[in-house]
Amino acid sequence: MQLLRPESVEAAAAALGNGSVALAGGTDLVPMLRDRLVSAETLVELKEVVPRGVEGTRIGAGTTLAELEVDPEIPAALREACALAASPQLRSMGTIGGNLLQATRCWYWRLDFPCFLHGGSRCHAREGAHREHAIFGNERCASAHPSDPAAALLALGARVRTSRRELGLEELYRLPTEDDRNVTALEPGELILELDVPRPEASVYLKAMDRARWAFPLVGVAAARFADGVRLALAGVAPIPWRLDSETDLDRATPLPGTAYKVELARPLIRRALHSVT
Amino acid sequence: MARLIRTEKEVEGRYTEQWVVVEEDAAIDQWPAGPRETVGRPVPRVDGYERARGQALFTADVALPGMLHAAVLRSPYARARVRRLDLSRAREADWVLGAIGPDDCDALTLEPGFHGEPVAAVAVDSPGRAREALELIDVDWEELEPLLDPEEAVRRNELHEEPRRYERGDADAAFADADVVVEAEYRTQTVLHNPLETHQSVCRWEGDTLEVYISTQFIWGVRDDIAESLDLPPDRIRVICNFMGGGFGAKNGAHAQTFIAIALASQTGRPVRCALSRREENLATGNRNSTIQRLRAGARSDGTLVALEGEFVNAVGWKGWSGPTYGPMEMLYACENVRTLTYGAKLNLPPNAAFRAPGFVEGTFGLECLLDELAGRLELDPLELRARNHADRDLADDRPYSSKNLLECYRRAEPHWARRDAVRARSEGPWRRGVGLASQIWYGGGGPPSYAWVRIGSDGRATVITAMQDIGTGTRTAMAQIAAEELGLPLDRVRVSLGDSSRGPYASISAGSSTTPSMGPAVRAAAADAARQVIEIAAQRYHLEERLLTMQGGKVVSSDGGSWPLEEVTGLLEDAQILGKGARGPNPTGMRVLTFGIQVADVAVDVETGEVRVERIAAIHDVGRVINPLGAQSQVEGGIIQGVGHTLSEERLVDPASGIVLTQSLDAYKLPTIADVPEIVVELLDIPDEHLTNLGSKGLGEPPIVPTAAAIVNAIRDATGADVRSLPVSRDEMLRALREARERERAAAPA
Repeated sequence: MQLLRPESVEAAAAALGNGSVALAGGTDLVPMLRDRLVSAETLVELKEVVPRGVEGTRIGAGTTLAELEVDPEIPAALREACALAASPQLRSMGTIGGNLLQATRCWYWRLDFPCFLHGGSRCHAREGAHREHAIFGNERCASAHPSDPAAALLALGARVRTSRRELGLEELYRLPTEDDRNVTALEPGELILELDVPRPEASVYLKAMDRARWAFPLVGVAAARFADGVRLALAGVAPIPWRLDSETDLDRATPLPGTAYKVELARPLIRRALHSVT
Repeated sequence: MARLIRTEKEVEGRYTEQWVVVEEDAAIDQWPAGPRETVGRPVPRVDGYERARGQALFTADVALPGMLHAAVLRSPYARARVRRLDLSRAREADWVLGAIGPDDCDALTLEPGFHGEPVAAVAVDSPGRAREALELIDVDWEELEPLLDPEEAVRRNELHEEPRRYERGDADAAFADADVVVEAEYRTQTVLHNPLETHQSVCRWEGDTLEVYISTQFIWGVRDDIAESLDLPPDRIRVICNFMGGGFGAKNGAHAQTFIAIALASQTGRPVRCALSRREENLATGNRNSTIQRLRAGARSDGTLVALEGEFVNAVGWKGWSGPTYGPMEMLYACENVRTLTYGAKLNLPPNAAFRAPGFVEGTFGLECLLDELAGRLELDPLELRARNHADRDLADDRPYSSKNLLECYRRAEPHWARRDAVRARSEGPWRRGVGLASQIWYGGGGPPSYAWVRIGSDGRATVITAMQDIGTGTRTAMAQIAAEELGLPLDRVRVSLGDSSRGPYASISAGSSTTPSMGPAVRAAAADAARQVIEIAAQRYHLEERLLTMQGGKVVSSDGGSWPLEEVTGLLEDAQILGKGARGPNPTGMRVLTFGIQVADVAVDVETGEVRVERIAAIHDVGRVINPLGAQSQVEGGIIQGVGHTLSEERLVDPASGIVLTQSLDAYKLPTIADVPEIVVELLDIPDEHLTNLGSKGLGEPPIVPTAAAIVNAIRDATGADVRSLPVSRDEMLRALREARERERAAAPA
């Protein structure tokens, strides 16, 4: 395996594909390489080409979670989501751009079962062990999106600038379909460069997990209040970060037998989040 | 003189009769209770700096010249048959130096019965390429239907042994007469040992002698396993374990990795390391198996227990043993009428292994939760209910205890228990607070045979020599303290040499909380033997009567005023040395040697989200004399932290259809982090057991984990009224129990 250190975004983008994979913090990529979920002959290091740091409302995609969680300019929901993610060691390596693109923790997917998300015909979790899995958008694939910051950014209405275009964070994610099993709309060779995060009047991120620290969300709830209302987004409840308009949207959840508790768990978290920002 | 005796030996509740040789020419009186010069005082680990500096050599650090690295092909299925195993491509590759299958090694099989069972193995000279070499093995698998449901296994009579039946008194009659009967079904999950150091061995042939470096809890057990399996004379096997990164019961024998390394070393003529990855560790090295417990208790209205009944299903896995889940029910209380029935289900799941008080952790969870449900029905104080049913004598075996101070533990628990009104009053908003307790019973007496030598050099320094192992619990330090105490030497003049079967006498297994109670008395006897010789020499040299001389403060001291530095006496020997020998004497005949205790837990529960925080645990245990209060406190803290993980977050999950283990890595299998650790208050009674050995010490490795889960779950009930009956208390289980409690309250409310 070789490491490539391109000096421009264009060079980095051009180098990707054909056995070349982008490397930022590596906290998700390296374990996946080791587990052979990703195969790569070349790693393309993005450190020199992707912006890092915070300027006004813009966040470089190479900024680490550790940098964001202590930056007073960053809205509370995102700071809290970063602080509650992973462990200090992981947060000082992991970048916000990489965090948005991290793969699900679904154990079937991680153990390389020939599941729907891997291109197979069925979701093993639906019939199998699925207490960490989805309650929305889970018909074909019941995996849960693991990113805390993604839910916070979704509630904050963040926009994403890539090497090719600008799009809302909501457009970055898509449920996997029969024809396309990806959960993001990024095209091959497309890199996330920067986020633009509107300043809310108030925001918060609340997280339920299996232990006090270093666990992916069972349910994470982000709420952000703007002049025109409150936006809610959830982590850990669908294959992608999930927007809700209100608590009553939970009535439309489609939980599996082992995830029904997540609906119950989301209710008080949403109420508390709303209470906190209003 | 050597004395041959027939004695009962107990390891983790399993008794066997065996012959042992003990040497007890001079019986040694126990020291008076209380702290001594060194024993009974807090001492930092004697090997602390070595560990902190990275100088302590673990098996993981062993790198022998020419050493190869093994990788193991494991079954990807819970049950399969290998139709064809072809090693020829691996054997032909010039970079693959060894390849073995079931024909070469009994630890490999063509009919794997669990996910992760070893089928074949290879050896290469680069650790990075070992796994790659596995791809050169051609296997034709036939996947077979696995049996995964323990209840179904019981129905089909797929059991490891005949169901175990126990009855004393007449349970049916007693239940019929009881004023109150409570019953409930409890479930415990499968949890994994996860020692920091995974299972690993390095094996090398040196002429006709086999050297085995291994992370183990029992050097001599490894030697015996290998001797028996390979039909080798035991003295041609040398087993070495200087520093060890934890085992918790999973490293009591040679295990598959050792036999694989030996077979590959034999085939290649090179030293071979076989070290498991974390994922392999979490597949194939053992676990605390899940249990189903259907329990019933009958009592009179004054709280007297009249009958206990339990049906236990141990989901043992493909290999292993059916643990004493029934133990607490049969042993903890003075109940005349007890009936238990225990099944050990044989399933296509990874084998269990002893895990820190096996059976009793699970059984105490069920029994002690049931006791609190009974206390609730009787409207009795749970601590009072336990005190009323205190057993003054062991009813399971009809024997007296060698010592028992459980009522004193209960008394010492009162101030912690009395805080509960104040704790409950701190409930606010969705956070409800409560206090719970649970009692503890377990073994921990150790026993013979165990031997030690003490060597004193002309420099006046002593070395304890024994082929025991320190599995990370700090027994190296405790042995140094015991020898220093007996020799009247400062601790820094005593070294401990352990961990090598060819450098020291036979020593105890480090399981069943037995290292200190087994080895400590042997070390003291050896030190006393050496001290006697020093005094004999001094008496002759200085023309004094032996009875006037003692060893104190690094000197030989005469009661008539004279004193001589030890090195002045031993200096007479020039390069020669004094060698004292000691043996562990037998356990007291006709007595039950057990450990006791109680834990009191404070918890906070968010009744809307089901979040449980354990805020404080007070642990009061009766384990006889405490050698090192600092090390003992560390053992209690470790046991409780492991207990908190068992109670709240740890669970090994398998795919219910295929039996494939899903939680192999440490992000999926959730050990507690430091943020989950409560305030821990440790109180040890430190009362020597006057009948047990020349020390009066019992073991402490296991007792602290026994009552933790029940104490936490009883505190949850105290805080919320919810009956948690299944571990772990995950959000799903906590929310379910809260919902059930609300529905019960609603149903009970007047219409």
